Amino acid sequence: MLNYTIRRLLFTIPTLLFISFIIFLLLDLAPNDPTGNLPMTITPDVREKIRESLGLGQPIHIRYFKWCVQFFVNEPLNIVEQYFDITIGQGDRLRVSSWSTRSPVGDLIAERMPQTLWVVGMSYVIGILIAVPIGVYSAYRQYSWFDQTGTFVSMVGFSVPTFFTGVLMIVIFSVYLGWFPSKYDTLHVVTDWESFVFQVRQSIMPVSVLALFNASTISRFMRASMLDNLNQDYVRTARAKGMTERIVVLVHVLRNSLIPVVTVIALGIPQVFGGAIITEQVFSINGLGALLIQGIQGADIPLVQTLTFIFAVLIVFFNLIADILYGILDPRIRYD
Amino acid sequence: MLDNTADAQKTPLVKVDNLKMYFPIYKGVFRRQVGEVKAVDDISFEIFEGETLGLVGESGCGKSSAGRAVLRLYDITDGSIVVNGHDISTSHGDNLRKLRPEMQMIFQDPQASLNPRMSVAAIIAEPLDEHQSLTKKARMERVFELMDAVGLSRDFAKRFPHEFSGGQRQRIGIARALALNPKFIVCDEPIAALDVSIQAQVVNLLEDLQDKLGLTYLFISHDLSMVRHLATRVAVMYLGKIVELAPRDLLYSDPQHPYTQALLSAVPEADPTVESSRTRIILEGDVPSPTNPPSGCNFSTRCPKVMDICKIDTPEFKQLKDGRHVACHLMK
Amino acid sequence: MRMKSILIGAAAALALAPAANAGRGDAGHVNIIYWQAASILNPFLSGGTKDVESSSMVIEPLARYDENGNMVPWLVTEIPTVANGGVSEDLTSITWKISPGILWSDGSPFTSADVVFTADYCMDETGGCQQLAKFSDVTNVEALDDLTVKVTFGKPKPFPYGPFVGGESPIIQKAQFADCMGAKAPECTEQNFGPHGTGPFRVTEFRANDVISMEANPHYRDPNKPAFATLTFKGGGDAAAAARSVLETAEFDYAWNLQIDPAILTQMAGAGKGTVVSAFGTGVERMMVNLTNPDAALGDKRSTVEGGPHPFLTDAAVRRALSIAIDRNTLAEVGYGAAGKATCNVLPAPAIYASTANDECLVQDIAKANAILDEAGWAVGSDGVRAKDGVRLSILYQTSTNAVRQDTQALVKQWWSEIGVETELKNISASVFFGGDQSSPDTFQKHFSDIEMYTNLFNGTDPEAYMNSWTCAEIPNPGNNWLGSNMPRYCNPAYDALSAELSGTADIDERARIAKAMNDMLMQEGAMIPLVHRGRVSAHSNTLGGVVLNTWDSELWNVADWTRN
Ligand SMILES: Nc1ncnc2c1ncn2[C@@H]1O[C@H](COP(=O)(O)OP(=O)(O)OP(=O)(O)O)[C@@H](O)[C@H]1O
Ligand SMILES: [Mg+2]
Repeated sequence: MLNYTIRRLLFTIPTLLFISFIIFLLLDLAPNDPTGNLPMTITPDVREKIRESLGLGQPIHIRYFKWCVQFFVNEPLNIVEQYFDITIGQGDRLRVSSWSTRSPVGDLIAERMPQTLWVVGMSYVIGILIAVPIGVYSAYRQYSWFDQTGTFVSMVGFSVPTFFTGVLMIVIFSVYLGWFPSKYDTLHVVTDWESFVFQVRQSIMPVSVLALFNASTISRFMRASMLDNLNQDYVRTARAKGMTERIVVLVHVLRNSLIPVVTVIALGIPQVFGGAIITEQVFSINGLGALLIQGIQGADIPLVQTLTFIFAVLIVFFNLIADILYGILDPRIRYD
Repeated sequence: MLDNTADAQKTPLVKVDNLKMYFPIYKGVFRRQVGEVKAVDDISFEIFEGETLGLVGESGCGKSSAGRAVLRLYDITDGSIVVNGHDISTSHGDNLRKLRPEMQMIFQDPQASLNPRMSVAAIIAEPLDEHQSLTKKARMERVFELMDAVGLSRDFAKRFPHEFSGGQRQRIGIARALALNPKFIVCDEPIAALDVSIQAQVVNLLEDLQDKLGLTYLFISHDLSMVRHLATRVAVMYLGKIVELAPRDLLYSDPQHPYTQALLSAVPEADPTVESSRTRIILEGDVPSPTNPPSGCNFSTRCPKVMDICKIDTPEFKQLKDGRHVACHLMK
Repeated sequence: MRMKSILIGAAAALALAPAANAGRGDAGHVNIIYWQAASILNPFLSGGTKDVESSSMVIEPLARYDENGNMVPWLVTEIPTVANGGVSEDLTSITWKISPGILWSDGSPFTSADVVFTADYCMDETGGCQQLAKFSDVTNVEALDDLTVKVTFGKPKPFPYGPFVGGESPIIQKAQFADCMGAKAPECTEQNFGPHGTGPFRVTEFRANDVISMEANPHYRDPNKPAFATLTFKGGGDAAAAARSVLETAEFDYAWNLQIDPAILTQMAGAGKGTVVSAFGTGVERMMVNLTNPDAALGDKRSTVEGGPHPFLTDAAVRRALSIAIDRNTLAEVGYGAAGKATCNVLPAPAIYASTANDECLVQDIAKANAILDEAGWAVGSDGVRAKDGVRLSILYQTSTNAVRQDTQALVKQWWSEIGVETELKNISASVFFGGDQSSPDTFQKHFSDIEMYTNLFNGTDPEAYMNSWTCAEIPNPGNNWLGSNMPRYCNPAYDALSAELSGTADIDERARIAKAMNDMLMQEGAMIPLVHRGRVSAHSNTLGGVVLNTWDSELWNVADWTRN
C-alpha cells in the first residue's frame, strides 16, 4: 500500500505540471482582458499601459515559467518562512499576485478559507450525516412512504438550483420572518456564547441550502448502494445465522454499502474547497467560490490560474485518497 | 435402509404441509400488484432424523425457494412448517432467531454468500457471538475446530473470502453452517458452482459430517446422479409442485410420474448395456411461467401421456401402496 | 466585537435621537453594500467604480463635483479660475491653494508635497496608473510652498481640472507610498489596502473583494463629523440581493447601483423600509453605426476605412429611418425604470450642454421611417426585406450579454422588421466585448458588425475628451492596435475643426455652444443612434439621513454628512 501510494504520488507530479500548463494555456487563449471591466472613461492607451504593467506583453512561455517559479518555489518558501518565523535567502520574493487586488493570491485564499470551510464544509458534513441514515432506511424500506418521500425530497434537492432555494429562504426567513440575516458577515468573530449564536444564525440558511443539495446526492448513492447489497446472498447468510436485523443491516449491509459511498464522499471534498459559487453569491459569503468567479469575470489570470490549479491538486489528491480508502475498506482490492 | 415402514412410525424432524411461496409482482408508477410468481405451490413432505431428502427438478422449478421457505428465510404465503417440534411457519423476529441454530443452510453460490468484508474467522464466529456466550479463547478454539472439521488450514482464519478457491469457499460456508451444531441443514446445490473434481470432495465431506454429527439434510440439486448417491428419499419438483416423492431406489428403478420418467431418461447410465437400451423421452415445449401456471395438472402442457382430465383437475398428491407419493391422474 | 458596536451604536442612536447626532461618532454604525466588492483602496491601480467609491471615504481630491455637477473646493480654499487668478491667462497652468490645518489620518499634516507626490506616482511610466488620463498634458507639478501647488500643462488647457479633481484623482500620502513608485506599486499590498487619507473614515480592516471595516478618522477636519463611529462596506452578491438587504430586511443602510428590473425595485420599496433614489449623469445607451464595411471577406481590411464604406449604413436616409423606428420611451421604461429616460443626444448632460435640436427621434414614427426608405429607393422585396441595387437591409446587431440589452435587442428587431429591415442579434460576454484582446474578433473596438450597442459616459462635467472620441484620429484600426474610441469610424473635417476649436476655448458658454454643435453634427449625420439616458439608482434606509446622490463624483462623496434619523 505504501509503495503504491508513493508511486501514485510520484506519478501525480508530471500530471499536475501538465494540468497547470493546460490551465495556463486555456486562460491565455481565452479572449479575456483584465482591463475589460474597467469603466469606459479609462482611455485605450491607459489600458495598454495597464496591461503592460501586468506583464501581459511578455511571451507565454516566460509568463508560465514565472508563474511556476512563483507558485512552486516562492509561495512554499513563504509559507515556511511565515510558519517558522525565519528568513530564507533574501526573503523578498515575488509572490503570485492577483491583478485586481494587487495582493498575493495566497493571502486572498487564506483569508477566504475560513468562511468557505465553515459554511461549505459544514454543509457537507451535515449533508453526509443526514444522507447516510436516510439512504439506509429508504433502501431497507424500499417503496415505503418514507422512501417515496425521501425520493421526492432529494429530487427537489438536487434539481432545484441553490440560487432558487437560497433566495426563497431569504425571502421567508429574512424578509418575512426576520429570523436570520440575509448577508453573511465575514468579519464576525466568535468570542463568546452570544457571538456563537450569531454565527450559527448567519450560517443556518447557506448551510441548509447546501446541505439539502449534498444530502440529496449522497442519500441517493447510499440508497442505491444499500439496495445493491441488501439483495446479496451474504445478507441471507447473515439472516440464516440468526443475526438480529440491526446487525444484518448496520454491520453486514451498511459496511459493504459504505465502500462506494465513502469514495463518492472523498471525491466530493475538493468541491468543498472550491466553495459553492452560487450559494456564496446569494448570501454574499465571499468565499473561495466567489473569489474564483470574481477572478474569472475580471480576467484576473494569476488568481484564476492559481485557484484552478489548487483545485486540480485537490482533485488529484482526493482521487488518490479515495483509491487508498477503497483499498483499506474493501479487502478484495489490493494494491502493491 | 429398507425399513421405511419402521421409520414412518418415528416422528419426522421436519414436517412441511401445503407450503406455498408466492412472490408478488408489482408494476407501474404506483407499484400496484399485478400478479404473483408461484415459486412454491402447495408442497408437503417430511424429513426424518438422520436422513437426506433429495429435492430435484429443472432450473427455476422452485427448489431454492422451497429450501429457503422451509428455513423461513422468506415470509411464506401459506402452509405450515414444523422443525424439531417447533412450528415456525408464523414465527417472527426474536422467536424465529432463537430457533436458527437448529436449522442452517449451505448456499448455492459460495462466493456471494460470504460477506466480502469479513475474515473467515469472523464469518464463522459471528453466530457464536450471537447465540452462545463463549470466552474469546473458547470461541477461537471452536472456529479452529470447525475449520479442521471441514478441512481448512487454521492459517487461513484471518483471510478474506475472495482469497480462496471455490471449493475452499464452500468449505467455509459449511463450517459456518455447522458452527451452531444444527440438526437440520438445507444444502442448496452446494456443489453446483464447483469443479467436478472438487464436487466429490465436498460431497464426501457432507457425508462424513452427516455420519459424525447425525445431521439431517434437505439436499437440493438438479444433478440426479449425485442425488442418487446421497439421498435416502427423493422428491421431484416441477413448476412449484412436488410431482413424485419416493425412496431412492424405488424412484430410480421404477419412476411413476411421467415427468420423473422423462427426467430419469436423460441421465446416462454407468452400465453400458443398460445405457444402450435407454430410450430418452424428449419433452415438447417450454416450462410454463410460474406466474401463470396451466390449469389442471401443471405438467399437462408437456406430458406425453396427457389426458382430458389433466387439463381440468389438479391431481392429488397421493400415497401409493409402496409408500411413495405421486401426483398424477394415471395413478389409480 | 462588531456586533457589540452595532448594538452600542443602535442604543446610542435611540438615546440621543432628539439631540440628533451632535458630534463625531454619535450615530454609531452604518452599513453600506456594493454588490461589486472593492478589490483595492487605491483608485490609481484599479479604476473600477467600486474601488474608486469605497476609497473616496478615505482619500480625497482637492476639489469635488456636487450633485449638480458644480465644482466645490474640498481640500482647497477656492476653485482656481482665470478670473480669480488661479488659472494663468494662457491657460497653461493652474495653482491650487490648500486649506490650512488639514491632517492625514495618522495625524501628520497634509501638504503640497503629498499632492506633488501623487502626480509623480500616477505619471510614473511603469506603474500602470489607471487614472493617467486625468494627468494628460501635465508637464510639471510643483510645490510653491507647503500649501500651494502649481500644475503646468504642455499646451493651453481650457479645462485644467483634470488632476486632483473628482473621486478618481484623490491625493495619497507621500510618507506612506514613497516606496511604492512605478513597478513596485502592486507590491505595496498594505498601503493599497489601507491608505492614509484626509477623508472622514479610516480603514481598520480590508478584505479584498469582500468587506471593509472603517472607523471615524480622529483627525478629520470637522470635529463633529462624521456622525458614524464605524462603517462596514460589504461587497458581493448581486444587485437584487443588495436592494433587498436595504429595502426589505433593512440589514444595510445604503445600496449602490441597483440595476434590476424596475418593477421588482418598486415592489421592494413598497415594504416601507427604504427609499430608492436616482440621478442622471452623462451615461447614454447608444448604438454605434458602422460606417465602414464589416464584411468578413475583406480580411484584414474588415471594418476599417481602407475596407471601404458600409454598403448601406452610409446612406443617411437608412440611419434616420432606423432611428425614428425605435420607441425609446418603451426601451427606457422596460429596461431602466427610474434610471432611464429617452434621449436623442450622446451628450445629454450637464444641462448647459444638452441640445434640443434632435428631438425628432423622441417619438416613434414607423410610417415616417417607411416613407423615408421608400423615398430613398429601398423597395420591399418578396421576403419582406428592403433592398436596393441588390443590397439588402440586413443588419448584424451586437452588444454585451446582459438581460436588459437582450430585451432591447429583441424590441428593436421587432420595430425594424416593421420597416423592412432584417436584424440578426448577437451578444458577447462583457469581458470579451469590452476587453481589448487583440486576438478576439468580438471586441467593441473591432466592431465586426453593422450596429453595436453599449453605454458610454464621461466623468466629471467637461465633455471635451468625450467629444474628441469621434475625431478622425480616434478611429480604431490594426495600425493603432484597434485602440481608439471612434467606433462608428466617423470622419468629418468639420467635426475635427470643432474639436480643435473646443480645445482652445476657455469661456464656459462658448464651450457649451461648440460641444452642442458637435453633438448635433454627430446626431444629424447619424453616426450614432442614442437610445436611453441612463441614471444611477441607489437605495438608502429610511433611517439614514443626509444622502445626496451624486453622479458627477463618488456616490459616497458626502458620507461625512450622513446621519441617523
Ligand atoms: N425473490 C423473488 N421474487 C420473485 N420471484 C422469484 C424470487 N425468487 C425466485 N423467484 C422465481 O421463482 C421461481 C423459482 O426460483 P428458484 O430460485 O426457487 O428456482 P430453482 O429451482 O432454485 O432454480 P435453480 O436450479 O436455477 O437454482 C423462478 O421463476 C424465479 O424467477
Ligand atoms: Mg436454486
